[in-house]
Amino acid sequence: MDVTNIAALSGNLAVVGYGLAAVGPGIGVGLVVSKTIESIARQPELAAKLQVTMWLGIAFTEALALIGLATPFIFA
Amino acid sequence: MSKAANNLFRRVLTLGSALIGAIAVLGGLIGYLVAGTDGLTSALIGAALTLVFVSLTAMSVWFGSKLPLGGFFGLVLGGWLIKIIGFVLVIGALKGADFINGPVLFFTLVAAILGTLAVDSVAALKARIPVIGD
Repeated sequence: MDVTNIAALSGNLAVVGYGLAAVGPGIGVGLVVSKTIESIARQPELAAKLQVTMWLGIAFTEALALIGLATPFIFA
Repeated sequence: MSKAANNLFRRVLTLGSALIGAIAVLGGLIGYLVAGTDGLTSALIGAALTLVFVSLTAMSVWFGSKLPLGGFFGLVLGGWLIKIIGFVLVIGALKGADFINGPVLFFTLVAAILGTLAVDSVAALKARIPVIGD
């Protein structure tokens, strides 16, 4: 039986990796920030505490982005 | 922002820099043994990249917290966006360079990132941020 290609993919696959490394942390940071805004709207007096907690959330999410974007150094 | 939060960010930046410095020395030594001068350069570049990009996050939250709420989120999120674009450009520029040893740079970067995350977490957990400002 002949094998027929119904779709062809050309170009650099690493670009898809760059995209995924941006999408995931982008969603993560969006969630962290949106929940912080909600929380500050509910309890403005906790803003300072929430900002520090938000920074920790962003730091962890950002770690994924930096590691994901640096993977070309080992997978290339 | 309260004095406690200022102290927290000052401590995080100091301890994070010291830890990344130690990782740069260790990574540079291992890199030199594994890949010679290229390994040493790659480890130092990986540690420096982490120092710059991780410190920028803490500094954006620190300085942003002195602004009104809209300015805070604008500075933190805008800074994050510009930082990621800058990181992609730096990685793209370094990727083809012949003085780079990819695995040494990558693993130094990962070790430095995980180390700073640990420092950040411990410092944030130990910090006592008052509900009422100074």
